[in-house]
Amino acid sequence: MSEPQRVDPGNRAVRRILGDAVVRHALSRIGLYVFAGVMLVFFALPLLWLVLTPFSRTPAYQITAPSFTLHNFRVLLDNPFALRSIGNSLILAGGTAVLAVVFAGTAAYALSRVRLPGRDALLYAILLLSSIVTGTAAMVPIFLMLFQLNMIDNRLALVLVLTGGLLPSAMFILKDFMDSVPKSYEESARVFGASPLQILRHVVAPVVRPGLATIAVWAIVQVWGNFLLPYILLHDQNKQPAAVIMYTFYDEGGTPNFALISTFSLLYSVPVVVAYLIVNRRYGFRFQGGIKG
Amino acid sequence: MATIELAALEKTYPGGVRAVDGLSLTIGDGEFFALLGPSGCGKTTLLRTIAGLEEATGGSLSIGEREVTRLAPGQRDVAMVFQDYALFPHMTVLDNIAYPLRIKRVARAARHEKARQTGDGLELAELMARRPAELSGGQQQRVALARAVVAHPSAFLFDEPLSNLDARLRLSARTFLKRLQRELGVTTIFVTHDQAEALAMADRIAVMEAGRIRQVGTPREVFGRPANTFVANFIGSTPMNLLPATVTDHRLLLAAGSLPAPSGLGARREVTVGIRPEYLDFSATAVPDALSGTVGIVEHLGTSSLVTLETDGGPIGVVVPEEAEPAAGSTGWAVPRPGRVLLYDNETGDLLPT
Repeated sequence: MSEPQRVDPGNRAVRRILGDAVVRHALSRIGLYVFAGVMLVFFALPLLWLVLTPFSRTPAYQITAPSFTLHNFRVLLDNPFALRSIGNSLILAGGTAVLAVVFAGTAAYALSRVRLPGRDALLYAILLLSSIVTGTAAMVPIFLMLFQLNMIDNRLALVLVLTGGLLPSAMFILKDFMDSVPKSYEESARVFGASPLQILRHVVAPVVRPGLATIAVWAIVQVWGNFLLPYILLHDQNKQPAAVIMYTFYDEGGTPNFALISTFSLLYSVPVVVAYLIVNRRYGFRFQGGIKG
Repeated sequence: MATIELAALEKTYPGGVRAVDGLSLTIGDGEFFALLGPSGCGKTTLLRTIAGLEEATGGSLSIGEREVTRLAPGQRDVAMVFQDYALFPHMTVLDNIAYPLRIKRVARAARHEKARQTGDGLELAELMARRPAELSGGQQQRVALARAVVAHPSAFLFDEPLSNLDARLRLSARTFLKRLQRELGVTTIFVTHDQAEALAMADRIAVMEAGRIRQVGTPREVFGRPANTFVANFIGSTPMNLLPATVTDHRLLLAAGSLPAPSGLGARREVTVGIRPEYLDFSATAVPDALSGTVGIVEHLGTSSLVTLETDGGPIGVVVPEEAEPAAGSTGWAVPRPGRVLLYDNETGDLLPT
């Protein structure tokens, strides 16, 4: 008649198991959120420090609710090297990005279109060796080479070394983009009389523009954060980039100058974020080729 | 406007594959010429060799009065429409159409003006600001055509121009393309693997197999008198009946019956008889000079049906008008229409003169 009377023992067991499952599910959910919360705080704290400390009257390691001031920026402006180093970083990063895009782009196009025996093996070999070219192990030879060429303290030399380090990966990524450009696009332009350079400029480069933009930003980020190479190859403080100059904001005892470091860090992170945002908005970040309509 | 002349043209790939095997061919001024054949027969390679995208390894090629065998593609004064249309995805329709003029260094305003005019003629006026990805297949094809037209070449080369369209659109595009070609009067070569397309559009057809031309002729010639069994097999929406026969005194003896033999066969004993299903009439009663068999499968083709007669010598196809289809299992006779029986040499597969 009524429903509950018909519940048999087997059915009750099923219900208990179901109840357990609900509890277990809830517990695992709670655990997940707690874990996510802790991780969030862990990663958010440095960012919070980066944003708040420059405006604090008493900049230090801890994060305090800011008693707002712009005094720290005055300290930064008074430092003779701070702003110039950001400019140096822009020159180095921009130069490297341009060279990497031009060289890697043309090389990837050639590698994509010309059938060479052992082409893929060559590409992988270059990629594997690339970590050596600008890796720590190569620092001494690179230094010695540039020293004997009398090119220490030469920004162009540094840009070339940095570009050399980025080229293999950049070529590897761009070749994939180039492979995705249908041959018929180029053939069509060829039949209309376009020269190889015109084909590259009018057809291929615009179609792989997302790839070129990705490589440009990636190169900027790589150079922006690079400390070791500019530290070794540039000795003139007037030429050193931000990543190197930041290490001079400690006094002889190793005590950090928080007013300088906090404001400088904020300024230091802005260009990279802006570059990323621009490219991401216009093209979307991608590491694979493909035609988007 | 120009005639296109191929003299022993040859294209051998480094691996030794002979894609174009010593072709000689003259395509008349203003002609709409089809290269037809199964995949891998070399028709696309031939077209690309004419365009200059493949380098000929032998022979010569001239367009108009000029010998162009060694010229770069851009100097041959031809325009090509690719199978995938090859529209530049980052350019608007207007810029796409104007691209050939940009290469010829026509000023921006002038080339846009010209591109607009051409686009208007192809019903693209509303679409000029769009990107290719925002167009339907038929519209993309018209943009590709407009881009070829605006270049004002002495010849058009079309590579499978209709194969990316759906079946219904293909029919209207066929009519459209033929009318466009007629109006412009530009010598046109197009490649297709679809025999119906070639028959419908072309002034003349070259049927190719393995880098060689097996027959050149008007659609009527190629359909009505295929020069060999390969062409006979390839052309026609229903395959031609090819039946072994023995020649005796004035008779052709087939497994399914006997037919009167044409004169002039000489001492030949064994031949292959070719009759199109469309050129056979069905009879439900016994008639002389006919082939008989049991009615097997009946396939509906719309206004007619293809009846397969099962005979001792294999199946024979007969096209029967609609509502005259015989019942399956009954006995039927297939009567060839006068002058429609073709005889082929058993060894070479070539058409015998009758």
